[in-house]
Amino acid sequence: MSERPVLAVEDLTMHYSIKAGAVRAVDGVTFSIERGQALGLVGESGSGKSSIAMTLLRLLPDNAQILRGKILLDGVDIVPLSEERMREYRWNRISMIFQAAMNSLNPVYKVGEQIIEALEAHLESAREESIERVRRLYDVVNLDPGLIVRYPHEYSGGMRQRAIIAMALACEPDLIIADEPTTALDVIVQDHILREMRSIQAELDMSMIYISHDMAVIAEVSDVVGVMYAGKIVELGGTADVFHSPIHPYTRSLMSAFPSVTGKKRELGTLTGEPPNLLDPPEGCRFHPRCPYATDVCSNQEPPKVRRGNHWAACWNPQGE
Amino acid sequence: MARYLIKRTLQILLTLFIFLSIVFFLVNAQPGDISHVYSLNPDLPPETRAKLQDLFGVNEPLWKQYLVYVKNTLTGNFGVSFSLYPRTVADVIGERLPRTLVLFLTATVLSFYLGFALGKIVAWRRGGWVEYGSTIGSVTLYTVFTPWFALMMIWLFAFRAGWLPIGKFLDPVEWREAPTSANAVFNQMIITMIVLSVAIFAVFLFTTRKRVAGARLIQAGSIVLTAAVVAGVWIASGVAHLAWDIVEHMILPVGTLTLISFGGAMLLTRNSMLETMREDYVTAARAKGLPEKQVRDRHVARNALLPVVTSFVFSLAFAVDGGIIIESVFSWPGMGQTLISAATTEDLPLAVGAFVFVGIFVLVAHLAADVLYVYLDPRIRY
Ligand SMILES: Nc1ncnc2c1ncn2[C@@H]1O[C@H](COP(=O)(O)OP(=O)(O)OP(=O)(O)O)[C@@H](O)[C@H]1O
Ligand code: SF4
Ligand SMILES: [Mg+2]
Repeated sequence: MSERPVLAVEDLTMHYSIKAGAVRAVDGVTFSIERGQALGLVGESGSGKSSIAMTLLRLLPDNAQILRGKILLDGVDIVPLSEERMREYRWNRISMIFQAAMNSLNPVYKVGEQIIEALEAHLESAREESIERVRRLYDVVNLDPGLIVRYPHEYSGGMRQRAIIAMALACEPDLIIADEPTTALDVIVQDHILREMRSIQAELDMSMIYISHDMAVIAEVSDVVGVMYAGKIVELGGTADVFHSPIHPYTRSLMSAFPSVTGKKRELGTLTGEPPNLLDPPEGCRFHPRCPYATDVCSNQEPPKVRRGNHWAACWNPQGE
Repeated sequence: MARYLIKRTLQILLTLFIFLSIVFFLVNAQPGDISHVYSLNPDLPPETRAKLQDLFGVNEPLWKQYLVYVKNTLTGNFGVSFSLYPRTVADVIGERLPRTLVLFLTATVLSFYLGFALGKIVAWRRGGWVEYGSTIGSVTLYTVFTPWFALMMIWLFAFRAGWLPIGKFLDPVEWREAPTSANAVFNQMIITMIVLSVAIFAVFLFTTRKRVAGARLIQAGSIVLTAAVVAGVWIASGVAHLAWDIVEHMILPVGTLTLISFGGAMLLTRNSMLETMREDYVTAARAKGLPEKQVRDRHVARNALLPVVTSFVFSLAFAVDGGIIIESVFSWPGMGQTLISAATTEDLPLAVGAFVFVGIFVLVAHLAADVLYVYLDPRIRY
């Protein structure tokens, strides 16, 4: 019997309107996450990873519109929900570790207070209980409980990141979105924190979305990988499948840009050219101006989905096999 | 904290000392000296002149005069005013300073309070006629030519409508048979104001800190209660009509000043809010599912407050000397008028005394701002 996925995203399309037109930042994105699963989203800068994250929490700026698609949380579509109903879903059901994690703590309040604030917005618990809970959370993320009453500027970068993780865990959400959670940290701290997050996630049986442009990070933490290019997911599959036998030419170029993932050097040339302008993306396959395997059909028709088991990619000329 | 305060106080004393020295040497850089002014003044009896010459030490060398000046200043002895002889400078300033302070403090606090409250709302609900109207209004008030605006206010509310007196501190007719002096009544009014605001502040602090249930009700109730008690005490004192006369004379200058600085405060708050709204911790606060009002007040407004506080302190500094125009237009007998008349009548002791007090007030305001900042921004290390 297959359980209902924690999150199912269907044909999600979100544009930003600016003076020059519509920025098609999220275009027909479909994926789902099972309980306890970790999905990694990888792609170049500007490919729309953060835009997906913000759409899932419905925290978009005024110039953004969700044009199509569904976001099913445990079967409930949250796209048409009112702001007031949506507030109950935020943090309680989906929480987030922001890209600029360093700045997501308000400098004028004690860190513990900012976690308690999130608890009080969703749970009817007495203050003593909340404090006790924050203490347990600090324990989980290996922070000294004495830091609860300290201000953000008194934390080191790594400590702040742990506090942010504790905050994301506070309401025991079904899903945590981590947008580049460790990019601002040095490599050793980064590695520690990633490993801790992975074990906390397994322990609490939570689902996660990890967002990064770093293939090595994604390879380390995720069960399923989605590769994003210019607002679309171009390849999706189990981590081992995607990394060992990539179908999409873009995925292959990304891998060669990060040789450390597989250890051995690849023949393929590294990625040349610029990512497309999302105001006016190329016709057909958005990757065709940069693709070494491009054929005529690529430049005027949307590529079809090629499936190999649970692993698929959108390409006219699939690689491997 | 205590060490920081001591350090800042010492720094401010040093600044004050430098300021005193500059005032002294500027005055002495003028041709002639104070004794010439005395010898040209036939009203002074010779023994007073000799006593004053002794007091000022004008026959001594400059460095000795300087030391005597510093000593006199520190002991609050500013000598006798020439133009208001035989009143002492300390006495004149003791009368004028409170009048200026009450006028400008009331207006500054009021304008910043209103400006902050409106700026907060306008920044939050962008667009629409509320933002449009209040921004245009604020820019107009911010850039308006002060004397013209003050005269228009007088023309409108005092001359045309006749609701308020045209100028001055009080109406002499009302006071002809008054049992006490205007200063005594005014001092009682100041004490009343202080008691009232401390009481209200304490109630607000207590109810918000302790998260008391029904805080709003307690706050409203206590305001009404203190107001009633104060009103009762005043009516019993029998000089309530005299106090009311002073209040009537205050309304127009306070209102004008409030309007003039309100525009700047509101625009500053709005900009500061819009800037803070872009911060990541604001997005984070929303993501946490906090109610809109909590995001606005606790996260945006609280942080947007910092530059507004800085501007508030600078306005306070202007409260003492920048009010010369307003005090002249409204014939308000405060520090600004005192400075002008001291300058035009060559009343040197009074001018020096007024300058010194203005300096002290500005420095104390800055010290208060420093303390407030430590409280508002935990990032400041002391
Ligand atoms: N508020 C906005 N208005 C208009 N365009 C926007 C807005 N926010 C983002 N974009 C555009 O949307 C596209 C996707 O941006 P997004 O931040 O989602 O990318 P990303 O994959 O997270 O990149 P990075 O790795 O740099 O974080 C970019 O082209 C960006 O310029
Ligand atoms: S569809 Fe064509 S252009 Fe696009 S990735 Fe595949 S081969 Fe390259
Ligand atoms: Mg991003």
